[in-house]
Amino acid sequence: MDLVRHLECFVAVAEESHFGRAAARLGMAQPPLSQRIQRLERELGVRLFERTSRRVTITEAGRLLLADAREVLSRSESFLATARRVRDGETGLLRAALPPDLSGGTVAALLADFGRRRSGLELELHELSTAQQLARLAAHELDVGIVHHPCDVAGLELGPVLRRELGVLLSRGAGAARLDEVPLAALSGHDLILFPRSAAPALYDDLLTTCARGGFTPAAVRHGQGDSFVRGLVLSAGAVALCPRDARPPSSGDPDVVWRPLTGGAPALRHSAAWPAGRGDAAVHAFAEAATQALRTAAGATPDAPTRPLHLRPASEYWL
Amino acid sequence: MNDAVARIHAAFADAGVTGRLHALGIDSGVQLDAGADQPVPTASVHKLCVLVALHEQDAAGRLDLTEQVECPPAGRTTGPTGVAAMLDAARLSLRDLAYLMMAVSDNAAADLLLRRVGLDAVNATTARLGLTRTLAVHSFGDMLATIKEDAGPDGARALADPHVITRLRALDPARTNRSTPRDLTRLLAAVWRDEACPPEHGAAMRRIMGLQVWPHRLASGFPFDDVHVAGKTGTLPTLRNEVGVVEYPDGGRYAVAVFTRTAHTAATLPAADAVIGTAARIAVDALRAEELRSR
Repeated sequence: MDLVRHLECFVAVAEESHFGRAAARLGMAQPPLSQRIQRLERELGVRLFERTSRRVTITEAGRLLLADAREVLSRSESFLATARRVRDGETGLLRAALPPDLSGGTVAALLADFGRRRSGLELELHELSTAQQLARLAAHELDVGIVHHPCDVAGLELGPVLRRELGVLLSRGAGAARLDEVPLAALSGHDLILFPRSAAPALYDDLLTTCARGGFTPAAVRHGQGDSFVRGLVLSAGAVALCPRDARPPSSGDPDVVWRPLTGGAPALRHSAAWPAGRGDAAVHAFAEAATQALRTAAGATPDAPTRPLHLRPASEYWL
Repeated sequence: MNDAVARIHAAFADAGVTGRLHALGIDSGVQLDAGADQPVPTASVHKLCVLVALHEQDAAGRLDLTEQVECPPAGRTTGPTGVAAMLDAARLSLRDLAYLMMAVSDNAAADLLLRRVGLDAVNATTARLGLTRTLAVHSFGDMLATIKEDAGPDGARALADPHVITRLRALDPARTNRSTPRDLTRLLAAVWRDEACPPEHGAAMRRIMGLQVWPHRLASGFPFDDVHVAGKTGTLPTLRNEVGVVEYPDGGRYAVAVFTRTAHTAATLPAADAVIGTAARIAVDALRAEELRSR
């Protein structure tokens, strides 16, 4: 008996609760599907479904086996992904990408950890923005990447989402610079410096929304990215910029610009590993785990557990 | 047309969404394709298929639209609107349930109708109309149950986590009710051309679709008192859809189907709702310009 194929049939019938629809989903006719389920039940000595003329329902025994069946199928997909890499002559090569904003220390920690986990594997590493990574993951030109959220995650599997809290860069003479921790609302009256919106519209809007939610609605948003340009705007225009702790300038290094942690629902950068659904093999998981570990230790990232209440509005059309 | 497609994709990107669209001149046949054949989860847009199947069955004499249905509070499919949000027993005709299902996306009304009509009949209707890539695999209540199960113990709050979003079966077109933008403009054209049902049933369906209350998506792209918009939305975590028909006073009628996924997991994203109207407007303007050229 081809166990994997039979388990696919089991999971499909369990999810569709209907032999006809399960058969359509599997691209097969209904009689052989029924035969496979009967054969699986005989082999296992377990009745998986109750059938009446009108409907099919999973038994308690079937329910107990369903999670394990899904696990076997997902492991077999991962096994096949590895086999595909071997067959395609790419043995020992993993194509991975990192975003440009990780610090050198974080990248070094990731690479050292990955080398320990998969010493025989060659790593082809690219520096790519989230948009570039998503395009290449979809085209299967990239095996795994580290993406920024929010992004469209359709067709992807993700590692755990981690957050790097953002602090604020401001001129030493600004009133809020006297505080050890700056509440977002205390930035009122300052302009905000952000990257150009077209680079990542969803992230840009997310940062502005989070600032507004915390009581800081800047009168103007100025666009800039380079360190020295941002520094110039902070000093000359009384604007403030967002900056993660691990990328802040050294406290003794600049007499005129200071970095302070933000409080009051501060915005954060959120990252996770991402790979195409069903193509996560051992090498992909090793990279994802090494990246998660490096972000936690070298970049001070923390798990991103949603903590705020959620009020769904009637136009949401769903209710849990 | 290519320029319009590029502007539509730019509008989607600017709103932080990935979108797919098909627009069709109902009488001229001119089309605009921006990912028209991509399989998409339909969510509440599938209520349109239930509406058509219901009217087809009335036309065939298999049921009567004025037939009364008992709606006890126990076992109701949940939802924030209509019978789904009511506390007490109600009794409504099939056609008034259809009105609630379409006007406010009432999940309880939809499942009561689905129980009467049958999932297989809905699929038979879409198959008969040539919608080969459209399939309903579960009721609206069963679809919501998969979200609850996949979200886990943290409930709705967990849906802010991108990691949770990737495992929602309700967002995977292979495992939930599905269609394509092109299939749905074909269905709308059949309803507007009285090819799906006899004319009096067609008029009843068009009346109901014109009573949808939501102003924030498709209708927002046509802020003109003399332009009529009828549609049906669909919404799930990170998913926002609407399909509908836009009618101009010069007789131009356009079926538009827009399906989007937001990058952000937040539930409240006004720009993502509005871009459905923006994209539809770019498409309809392009179709009208094309019709003018070929006249």
